[in-house]
Amino acid sequence: MGENNTILKIMNLSKHFGALKAVDEVSFEVKKGEIIGLIGPNGAGKTTLTNLATGAYPKTDGKVIFKDLDISNLKPYQIARMGLTRTFQVVKPLIGMTVEENVLVGSLYGRDKRNTDMKNASKRAKEIIKLVGLENKKDSLVSDITLPDLKKMEFARVLAMEPEVVFLDEVMAGLNPTEVAEASILVKKIRLEKDLTIVYIEHIMKAVMGISDRIVVLHHGRKIVEGTPQEVVNNPAVVEAYLGKRYAKGIKEANNEE
Amino acid sequence: MGLQMLMNATLLGGLYALMGIGFSLQWGISGIINLSYGAMVMLGSYISLEFFNFFHIDPFISMIMSGAILFVIGAIIYRGLLQPFLKGGIVFTLILTFAVRLIVENIILKVWSADYRTIRLVYAGSNFQLGDVYIPLTKFLTFITAGILIYLTYLFMMNTKIGKGIQAVALDKEGAQAVGMDVEKMYMINFALGTALAGLTGSLWASIYSFSPHLLGPLVGKVFIIAILGGLGNIWGAAAGGLLLGFAETAGAGFLGSQWQEAIGMVIMVSVLLWRPYGLMGKKFFG
Amino acid sequence: MSNNKKVNIFLLIIAVVLFIFLPRFLSGYMVRVITTIFMYAVIAQGMNIMSGYMGYLPFGNAMFFGIGAYVTAIGMSKGLPFLVVVPLAAITAILFSILLGLPVLRLRGHYFAIATIGMSAAILSVVQNATEITGGAMGTTLPIIDKDPSIVYNYFYLAMFGLMIITTLSLHFIIKSRFGFGIRSIKANEEAAISMGINTTYHKVVAWAISAFFTSIAGALYAYWMSFIAPDEVFDVMIAVNTIVIMLIGGAGSILGPIIGAFIIELFAEVAWSAFLEYHLAALGIIIIIIVFFVPKGVTGTIADFIKRKKIRARKKVSI
Repeated sequence: MGENNTILKIMNLSKHFGALKAVDEVSFEVKKGEIIGLIGPNGAGKTTLTNLATGAYPKTDGKVIFKDLDISNLKPYQIARMGLTRTFQVVKPLIGMTVEENVLVGSLYGRDKRNTDMKNASKRAKEIIKLVGLENKKDSLVSDITLPDLKKMEFARVLAMEPEVVFLDEVMAGLNPTEVAEASILVKKIRLEKDLTIVYIEHIMKAVMGISDRIVVLHHGRKIVEGTPQEVVNNPAVVEAYLGKRYAKGIKEANNEE
Repeated sequence: MGLQMLMNATLLGGLYALMGIGFSLQWGISGIINLSYGAMVMLGSYISLEFFNFFHIDPFISMIMSGAILFVIGAIIYRGLLQPFLKGGIVFTLILTFAVRLIVENIILKVWSADYRTIRLVYAGSNFQLGDVYIPLTKFLTFITAGILIYLTYLFMMNTKIGKGIQAVALDKEGAQAVGMDVEKMYMINFALGTALAGLTGSLWASIYSFSPHLLGPLVGKVFIIAILGGLGNIWGAAAGGLLLGFAETAGAGFLGSQWQEAIGMVIMVSVLLWRPYGLMGKKFFG
Repeated sequence: MSNNKKVNIFLLIIAVVLFIFLPRFLSGYMVRVITTIFMYAVIAQGMNIMSGYMGYLPFGNAMFFGIGAYVTAIGMSKGLPFLVVVPLAAITAILFSILLGLPVLRLRGHYFAIATIGMSAAILSVVQNATEITGGAMGTTLPIIDKDPSIVYNYFYLAMFGLMIITTLSLHFIIKSRFGFGIRSIKANEEAAISMGINTTYHKVVAWAISAFFTSIAGALYAYWMSFIAPDEVFDVMIAVNTIVIMLIGGAGSILGPIIGAFIIELFAEVAWSAFLEYHLAALGIIIIIIVFFVPKGVTGTIADFIKRKKIRARKKVSI
């Protein structure tokens, strides 16, 4: 690993769709074991950035360095096998298969060819299902389970791949406050057990603040602020991006008075 | 390529252009690969045949009836048969349109038999000359009519409420839904428009060539090629594709012998699919 | 092994033994009919792995049948023995599937189905016109086996039966394997499959090669059996259509589906041919519509659903 234990480097990443700059020269680093919150209002480019990092979209410019390797031109399935994974904002379950089978696929194809034979992969899948608490639903078809369980399943699926970095793309979307709290606890617990590095994408401030070590804020495709949760929440640029200029002015004045 | 060959190719290409557009619209916008398309074209021919035999009406006039009847048939097929299966992946719609083809083929065989039929127009033999080139009157009229119909289709798509609705749905289904458009109705009208164009083509075909159920399969083959060449759902692309096919077939028949006529088209299509699958004109309606 | 599984295997072995001895009790005609059923079951299994399990419909798969038939015919006309040409036919088919598959399988959905129709038609045209090599549109003959006819058709009955068993068993183990999960994931959600590290292009190409392999051997057997083949017979689009209908009515995405479907469709064809001679096309069309509307999951799928619903009802009763 490189200096400072950096596991992922996003360097001047850009994605233009014609004249629209969905992602515009974004750079930041992620250290091993961190939880980085990636926030910004809707349309800020968070999911596009995820797609770029995981190879799902071709980049217009910039580089992605993962574990000191330039993965900018690798195919998505290769990047996934190397340990850089993601979940989807709108869950993408393997329809027609059970929960256990879904997680099994992640376990079979996840990492490097180690232990990806059926016996070991099945064992691993069963363990992960137990870990996230889906054991009593493991034989249900994915079309028969609730949204929170679908999200758990997708999380389990990604964990079965034994990843090093996970982009969690708006896992909280569609969950009620109880479910959000449950999900946060689960993510924290698993992150410790599995020594994961997480890029936590959200646009609900509250969910992200309590869990992230650092925050990167995107707006209109650009990175506008990077810092600790405290630094970010009081930053007028961030407030302006989410709530508009008037609120930001209020924050500025409050800061000046301190 | 001699000037005569060029002229023949162009005249043929015009008819193919009209034919290909209907199929391309159905595939590109309504998302249906219509294996009964050849049958629809032939129905148009047979309808004109009956109007000619019973009422002595010229196919250039009875084509309006063909177009109307095939429009209704297309709407019924789409609404009744295909709409429930749009989400089921390609297998169902493909095999269903094939079922329609089988049924129509059987009807044609029973009513008109497998014999080749012709419409003997009084002016069928006349042609006029442009320098050294002979232009048969029927082929010329067909070319002009096809051109007018293609342009009318374009105008319809660009200027009418429904036409613009179809384009909107083709570009962004969710967006269209969000503004309250009846998306399913648009798909249906688009599909029916496709079969109407098939019917019109059939009438024009009947003014020039003989026809029989034997043509059912090969016609579908041709419209595949045209649609792929021109990019799905693209009117001018399909028109260009039609002309290209006309040229390829005429040249192929001229230089290699008529048995290669069908093969040439297929080889071209496979080559395009392997090299430029989205067609020569690119992905969407607006290129 | 669970008791259920033991019972199933026992039943299957009984069925196999029954089929092996069946020809003794049937007329030559029926033996030939059943041989055709076995053959269609093999072709349908080829279609099944691609469409039923992976979600990519190779409408033109008959091209491998034709390739198998013609390589066999040409090879034997040069004096090669049958058992030598069959592997050659299979290898040729596999090569075609890889060469043609690599470019088009990268794309998704529709294009693949259409591309295969085009390829099949193109190959048909080439075979029709390359008269010196293939005998042209008129067809070509193969060496006739110099034995008693009943021995000959019994031989092919057993050969096709064996091929069907091997194909079905192979598919069974492939689907259960890691590779099989990869294939099924592609149908379930291709984007998700990619994100999980599945090399989808590899899976698609290999699946098609497997499909081509078995289909071409069926073609090879057919050619030797018939002693005469013609291009528009072995490259006929109706082979694909019939195969799709067989797959649908038996139940796509199930191992026994294609076999069940082949029996049902052949039964219908025998009955309908005499009853509906002039309307057999429309009858087939209507049958297709009925199947798609009322039994889209086929026999095996509908039975599976029925069992599942019974289980759910039983569970509900217990909990109350």
